[in-house]
Amino acid sequence: MNSQTLRNLSLALAVVALGPVALPALAADLDSKSPDELLAAAEAEGQVVVYSFTSRIKKVEKAFEEAYPGIDLVGYDISSTEQIARLQAEHQAGVTNADVVYISDAPVVFDKLLGAGIIGPYVPPRVADRVPAAFKQPLLAQRLSTKVLMYNEDANPNGPPVSNLWELTTERWKGRVVMVDPLQRGDYLDLMTEIVLQSGAMAAAYEAQFGKPIALSSGIANAGEQFISDLFANDVILVGSTDDVNAAVGKLGQSNPPVGFTSYSDRRDNAEEGWALQLANTVEPAPGIVFPAVLGIAEGAQNPAAARLVIDFLMGDDSATGGAGFKPFYVPGDYATRTDIAPHPDAVPLPEFKAWRVNPEKTAEIRAEIADLVLTLQ
Amino acid sequence: MALAAIDGMGRRLFAAPGRFLSLFVLAIAVFLIAAPLVKIALVTVSPQTITAWGDVLTSRLSPNLFYKPLGNTLLIGASVAGGCVIIGGFLAWLVIMTDVPFRRTIAVLSTLPFMIPSFAAALAWSVLFRNERVGGQIGFLQGLGMEIPDWLAWGMVPSLIVLITHYYSLTFTVIAAALATVNSDLVEAAQMTGASRRRVFFGIILPVTLPAVIAGGSLSFAGGVSNFAVPALLGLPVRMQTLSTRIYGMMEVGQTARGYVIALLLVLISAFFLWLGNRLITGRRSYATITGKGGRAKRFDLGGLRWPLCTLALTISVFATIVPVLVLTASSFAPSASALLSNWTLHYWLGESTPSIAQGLAGIAHNPDILSAIGITIGLGLTVAAAGSAVGLLISYSLVRAKRGFVPTAVSQLCFLPLFIPGIAFGAAYIALYGAPIGPFPALYGTFGLLVLAATAFLLPFAVQTGRAVIQQVSGDLEESARLTGAGFVRRLTAITIPLSARGLTAGALLVFVKIVRDLSLVVLLFTPTMPVLSVVAYRYASEGFAQFANAITVVILLISITVSLIASRLQAKSQPWLQA
Repeated sequence: MNSQTLRNLSLALAVVALGPVALPALAADLDSKSPDELLAAAEAEGQVVVYSFTSRIKKVEKAFEEAYPGIDLVGYDISSTEQIARLQAEHQAGVTNADVVYISDAPVVFDKLLGAGIIGPYVPPRVADRVPAAFKQPLLAQRLSTKVLMYNEDANPNGPPVSNLWELTTERWKGRVVMVDPLQRGDYLDLMTEIVLQSGAMAAAYEAQFGKPIALSSGIANAGEQFISDLFANDVILVGSTDDVNAAVGKLGQSNPPVGFTSYSDRRDNAEEGWALQLANTVEPAPGIVFPAVLGIAEGAQNPAAARLVIDFLMGDDSATGGAGFKPFYVPGDYATRTDIAPHPDAVPLPEFKAWRVNPEKTAEIRAEIADLVLTLQ
Repeated sequence: MALAAIDGMGRRLFAAPGRFLSLFVLAIAVFLIAAPLVKIALVTVSPQTITAWGDVLTSRLSPNLFYKPLGNTLLIGASVAGGCVIIGGFLAWLVIMTDVPFRRTIAVLSTLPFMIPSFAAALAWSVLFRNERVGGQIGFLQGLGMEIPDWLAWGMVPSLIVLITHYYSLTFTVIAAALATVNSDLVEAAQMTGASRRRVFFGIILPVTLPAVIAGGSLSFAGGVSNFAVPALLGLPVRMQTLSTRIYGMMEVGQTARGYVIALLLVLISAFFLWLGNRLITGRRSYATITGKGGRAKRFDLGGLRWPLCTLALTISVFATIVPVLVLTASSFAPSASALLSNWTLHYWLGESTPSIAQGLAGIAHNPDILSAIGITIGLGLTVAAAGSAVGLLISYSLVRAKRGFVPTAVSQLCFLPLFIPGIAFGAAYIALYGAPIGPFPALYGTFGLLVLAATAFLLPFAVQTGRAVIQQVSGDLEESARLTGAGFVRRLTAITIPLSARGLTAGALLVFVKIVRDLSLVVLLFTPTMPVLSVVAYRYASEGFAQFANAITVVILLISITVSLIASRLQAKSQPWLQA
């Protein structure tokens, strides 16, 4: 009996003895497979459940089922904040409902989901060489999304009605700035957190706006917190979803529309919904944040092959615009992470886009504190 | 030998429900009700989470986290109690004591609002009154060109109006029943000795009905305090928080420890006020000595006020019952609430997914999420109705037949405890206990089983009440004879009690069914995307701006719950003596 057979034998024994433990090995095996190699196993699974932070999952569902008629994609549109709470609760309960997790809120996701072993990374080998390293670690980023200041270009044909974020704290914009409650949507909490992290820039912008250095109120630690506090004191309108922001800001035919923080990419719906949303890219110090939308596979996913196929599909095909899988995301205001997908012609190119890039680790450090600050202001 | 001995012992135990059965139902009550509450309390005092008490009660967060929501909650409770007593009491007085026309119609209409889930009324309100304040669609009245001020569209005022119209039927029922028992001899005696109407009212009628007024008031107080749907739909958009919406918000963003602490405090507050109400009534028990049978008193002659008061009563009733239903139905066909009556489409009911409407959401008939929610909701209703009735019957059987003692008292107290617990806090307690595996048992989070358990426990007071009523109807003599002829416990239950009380039991089960189908506050925290229930799906659509879908689903809930309620009341054939003559 040579050492090779001995090894095989002991491996076989281990597999027999430790049946469930063999699963990770299988998952690692799946990670290196091409879509064609995954297909048979995925079709045998027959179904795949996706938790998605965007309602565009319904369009993906349709396209995916056309591409892979044998697999039923069940897509749930659940906000990132709620996905995190649900995935944690499900994990604690030992239940795995989701296969694919498509989520923003990277600061919390890296810490509370990836770090706790609730989801794991997967980079489809087909596109691995066309995604920069920064977007493959620690989770694969499918695209960059945004929460930025938008205005109504129908009512303001000469450009943004605001040139400095601090204007939003003045009488002119009282009750006329709209955003989603940062306690309900993590993206908005990340925006608030980034404003605090960028306190230096916020202080400079204050001086540029009011011609004097910023004076902090008692209990306020920096210019960013002062801005948030002043914004709330100026009767910022909090709504339940970005679509409510879009409608309030963007609806055509308003004489004096509000401005609001929303997704740049929602401009795609302008024609369909009768909106006139436009990015206020020139606002000082920055219009908002740009952050990754990441993909992961739930630990213990019931449909591991189909899950990988979905992620492969979401990353787009080999055409210049990413084909059917990426189509819902090939819109102005969303930036593909794949280097070979052409930038959308109607959007500000990424290098000229002034929004701050979120730093997940730094954000995670003070995010809870900012949440408490927002809570005291409501 | 040994087997026979055990068998004999088993028979003895079953023959003496005072022991085995009592302990068994005690175990059920502990498992369903006490355990989750104890667990939620324990969780908040564990070392990792004990700081949550400080955050909630004594930190810079406390005003927004607890005290302001508390203020709103108490204001809602007090105003709803006051409003309900006035409106419910007024209607009850009209129907029972006066010669107002259309008494029967008014009486029937006055009991209806409680059948309409409160979120339906809130949704209907926003279809009519929504203004531009928070973006999205505007309402019908604004669409007509009226300027709807913020205070009428959002926040406290609309919440109070909607809650009062929802709960006044509760006070109506309680006060009407009490007024019907006012001894006519007393009234006639007073009238003959020349007492004025005012004197009769303040000297006789009010004191006699005071316990009912307090009971009705404290029930509607508790209802207002624990209601989640109405402040969530009408208050949250303008940052008006109550304790219920705070609990929901904290749980949804994963700050569970703070959520649990607020839930516990809400339980204590609502229990305190119900206890206070009870206490006041108990103190007044002496009035119950005014008894004796008398004929029905002559009804008060309203004179010239007959028609104006009738119109007023009918107007209130129509706005509380018929208008919301019509508005919701219309809105489920109208692409825009601002033009409620034009461009009707069946898309929200029958349409396939179209990218241009509501982000491609398909109508009810083609929407897999909604269809599965319909199935799950009806399944949940039926299961809970069956399980609740079975448990309720068992518990009430043991309570009625058992002698006094520690165990029956404990069981009885535990079974009525859920009445004091707001649904959302109860949901939180269930997540605290059954959200993680217990020993060898898997966690129930996200399962149908968890919904069934929580709902059964939550509705146990109603199930036990039904059980008690029907068992007391069945004479103990029948049982006794059966026992003497050697029938065992199960045999007696299935051969005598259940057949004789089938009608009452079915009616009770149907009411439990309705209560769970239209409930939002209990299930809103237990909801998972893979186990959807209709009311939560409707709530989520409403808060995401898909009003027509929310309204269409609500119409489905209304249809189910009104149909079943009507069947139940037919079955019950509840005698309403004050309606005759």
